[in-house]
Amino acid sequence: MAFDIKGILSPFKALNQMGKHPHTVKFPYEEKVTAPRYRGLHFNDLEECIGCGTCSTICQNKAIDMINIEGIDPSSGDTGLRPRVDNGRCCWCALCVEVCPTGSLSLTTDYIYVTEDADSFLWTPGVDNPEGKEKKSFVSDSEHSLLEYARVPMRELEGSERVKSFAEVVLGYSEEEARKEAERCIGCGICTDNCPVHMHIPEYINAIAHGNDEDAIRIIYDNNPLGETCGKVCTRRCEEICAISKRGEPVAIRWLKRYATERAANEEMVKEIVNPTILPPNGHSVGIIGAGPSGLTAAYYLAMRGFNVEIYESKAHAGGMIMYGIPKYRLPLDSIDKQIEYMESIGVKIHYNTMVGKDVTLEELHQKHEAVFVGIGFEKPYSIGLTNEEAEGSIQAVNFLRAINSDKHVEIGDKVVVIGGGNVAIDAARVSRRLGADVTILYRRRVQDMPADWEEIEGAEDEGVHIKPQAIPLELITNENGRVVAIKYANAEMVPDPKGGRPRPKIIEGDEHIIETTAVIGAIGQEADYSFISEKIKSQIEIKRGRIVVNESQQTGVEWLFAGGDIANNRADAISAIADGFRATKGIEKFILNKEN
Amino acid sequence: MEVKLQVENEILDKIKHTFHSAEVSIPRKQRVEVKLRNDLIHPFLAYLKDTLGFKHLSHISTVDWLEENEIELVYIVMNYDNLVEVIAKIRLDREKPEIPTLREFWPQIETYEREIHEMYGVNFLGHGNLTDFILEDWEGIPPMRRDFDTVKYAKETYFNRPGREDAQDVRTTITKKSGEEIPELAKVYSVRHLE
Repeated sequence: MAFDIKGILSPFKALNQMGKHPHTVKFPYEEKVTAPRYRGLHFNDLEECIGCGTCSTICQNKAIDMINIEGIDPSSGDTGLRPRVDNGRCCWCALCVEVCPTGSLSLTTDYIYVTEDADSFLWTPGVDNPEGKEKKSFVSDSEHSLLEYARVPMRELEGSERVKSFAEVVLGYSEEEARKEAERCIGCGICTDNCPVHMHIPEYINAIAHGNDEDAIRIIYDNNPLGETCGKVCTRRCEEICAISKRGEPVAIRWLKRYATERAANEEMVKEIVNPTILPPNGHSVGIIGAGPSGLTAAYYLAMRGFNVEIYESKAHAGGMIMYGIPKYRLPLDSIDKQIEYMESIGVKIHYNTMVGKDVTLEELHQKHEAVFVGIGFEKPYSIGLTNEEAEGSIQAVNFLRAINSDKHVEIGDKVVVIGGGNVAIDAARVSRRLGADVTILYRRRVQDMPADWEEIEGAEDEGVHIKPQAIPLELITNENGRVVAIKYANAEMVPDPKGGRPRPKIIEGDEHIIETTAVIGAIGQEADYSFISEKIKSQIEIKRGRIVVNESQQTGVEWLFAGGDIANNRADAISAIADGFRATKGIEKFILNKEN
Repeated sequence: MEVKLQVENEILDKIKHTFHSAEVSIPRKQRVEVKLRNDLIHPFLAYLKDTLGFKHLSHISTVDWLEENEIELVYIVMNYDNLVEVIAKIRLDREKPEIPTLREFWPQIETYEREIHEMYGVNFLGHGNLTDFILEDWEGIPPMRRDFDTVKYAKETYFNRPGREDAQDVRTTITKKSGEEIPELAKVYSVRHLE
């Protein structure tokens, strides 16, 4: 019998396979590693998701519903809804992930879904698979996306060019730019919640995207008769919560509104396009005090409903703060004229140079009209509380801006110091630059604490305004003629607020400086002048922290008296005033018609 | 960079010398892109396969250029020796997209062509088996064409599974909270409404 070495060695042949990748299924079972960007079951980060519904809208199979989920409440910038996927319909194309503006929705490496109920295809990502967060596979990124995260830039005059005149700084979108910018909007409508008057933003933007600018104008005028003003100077709270802003630049809602409203070049065109339905006179009459944004808005919509509307305006021109407060390089006179003339053309009557309390009393107005709306705004500046404040060369910003906007000359010299950090302070500084002065802004806190719009602050810096933050003015120094020649201020450091508020400035002892100046402009706030209201009426209405308390239809404690604008809300902007006027329209109509029955 | 793309540039030169009308570019390493006249796709692929060694057909892709009224066919072939891919693109008239079959070069192309015929409506002349592939008794616009309304089809064809009745309309949810009243003239521009 021959010796067979093979028989002895064969069992050891298996050792050849040592260290090689096995072909058999491993025990214990290990899940296979999926390909990169594998598209498995959905996962939704419930915290990141804002419920905009873009996933649901894009789904070609209509597999995604937006539903309420217990424990998730709507808030500013979040509808409170979350997507639910019908896995029986989903084809895992991942379009929903590609268009998710927040990036909360993704597809995971999970591809196994076992359940005892054969009909349970409905799957709420994030709720049904919280562990999916660790298994994200197909995610969207803002670099390569179906959404456009970068805004179409707005063309502006150069800083050096701007200071030469009061020409409008922002040049506006061209038709092509506007279409491109409008197409960035995903139409969720989350922005409308933050707009005080709840303009129909996604609708008019979509109209612009479709090239139907006239429809956009009609939609804008549905609840805002000063759309062009807002298109230029709105504080645009809408853009703060734009869904696109979660990962990119918000849609330029303000500039698109500006584009649309400017397509109607004059008041005849506005009237022709808007073509408002004006009801026949209903025999009722409403008086309005102050032709500012709130008063004009109330007047416009009341006139459309057949009311006889008369506005009493103390100045020679209508517009209130948008006329006398906002500098002309932001909102030109032509534009204001166009909007006011349009309103007058549909029946709003304005009595100019008529001061209530002097030329006519509130009681007389009440006898003439069934209801009176007060929108007088904050015109009386706060004093800055420094010695020599009354001296020549010390000016209040609102008075200064009013004089400049009325084409009057104000002597400010060539070295101006502005005190304050709000939009009024920035406006005063930028206007002073245009009058040829060197301008320094003294502000108590840090630049990031300034209440002014960041674009305004940047604009001021581009134009060569010096901003001196953490500087507390101490006194105005006058010469022998009693004229302000310098201002003394102290540097401050920021200390935490013991009550947990924002950090507070604290003077650094001995760190005092003096700047020579030819004029000091104070801009630390304004209040209302209620002297036209008689004591009897005053006792029936409530004034809290300088503002009249009103109900949800802008009605005061006196049933025929309504109020709106700065005197009734603390937001200090045109759009909030417009919202007040719009609400008051309904309140006044209800009050008068109810009384009749 | 020039040195690194030597192989690609050699291929580019050869293609240019043989097919004067072809637009040839090198988008990246191991990739040569060629835009061709329709009638040249056969001689071009024959030349690539037999002379330049591009033996492997990776894929045929299709793009619907709706606005330009054209259907683009994208042939991707590869050479195993240098691992370069050539991407050959031709454009057909969208109204009547026709091109002779390539099954004599690569028999497996039959399947690709059947699928493209079904999904985009491209007619491959001489194919002989352009019958139903995945879809059964499909009528109307081929479903991958861009003017095919997938959402409309899904709505008409499938019913909603029970349990989906609690779906909310995003825009209405917002207006309910804010009190906004959307006028009729604006509603046509809303994109977030349930139908």
